[in-house]
Amino acid sequence: MALFDTTQLGLERAISGAAMRQDALAANLANANTPGYKPKDVDFHSALRSAFAAGASGEEVSRTAFAESTQTGVVRADGSAVDVDVESAKLSENALEYQTLVQVARGRIDILRSAMGVG
Amino acid sequence: MSIFGSLDISASALSAERLRMDVTAENLANAQSTRTADGGPYRRKEVVLQQSGGGFAGALAAARSADGPNGGVRVGGIVEDTAPDRLVYDPGHPDANQQGYVRMPNVNPVTEMVDLISASRSYEANVTAMQTAKQMFTKTLDLLR
Repeated sequence: MALFDTTQLGLERAISGAAMRQDALAANLANANTPGYKPKDVDFHSALRSAFAAGASGEEVSRTAFAESTQTGVVRADGSAVDVDVESAKLSENALEYQTLVQVARGRIDILRSAMGVG
Repeated sequence: MSIFGSLDISASALSAERLRMDVTAENLANAQSTRTADGGPYRRKEVVLQQSGGGFAGALAAARSADGPNGGVRVGGIVEDTAPDRLVYDPGHPDANQQGYVRMPNVNPVTEMVDLISASRSYEANVTAMQTAKQMFTKTLDLLR
């Protein structure tokens, strides 16, 4: 049995997905006043969900690709489609999710450590 | 994607919003300036923001990074407002014309105040995004403990 199972590798991939989403959401806030800018988002949930549903191996899960998608929203009179409130809410939601993922990954690593007798 | 990518993105927005505040402050400061180096009254200036990552440098960065370009913001340029000058009747003014009208800058202080608030709020939003990213990275560092 591998030291790191599919769940652990999935958690790690989800952490990088959340980091990528953080980049996209930060870019949306940065371009809140840019005319013609279309907000972006990264849907790493559905990519990972379909990988797990397809019974992917640990190696396949850790190679799951995440695509950046362009959101369609109401375009303001100044040409930007960024809703600062929505983006801020998404940003804090994503940060909380990231911290949860890291906490769970950490808990699983701690279990491994105590099994190795170093914890 | 680098781990500090989102910090760079927010930082680009901070400097862009700060420049917007600077230009708004310049407009407000010169709201009554009737003389400039080019002659005529001061003209209102405006910052044009642009999504960064375009052009050759952007394409190169995108090709080198696996997850595409980072989408910060950059200042495309500072342009002058083409709105006509305000005419104010003030015959005693040294720059008044034959009819007693003075050409005043096309600056509306109310518009400038609104722009100032907008820039300041955007700045705050990006600072919050930066703090969130910082908390996330700190959490990741905890994994090593």
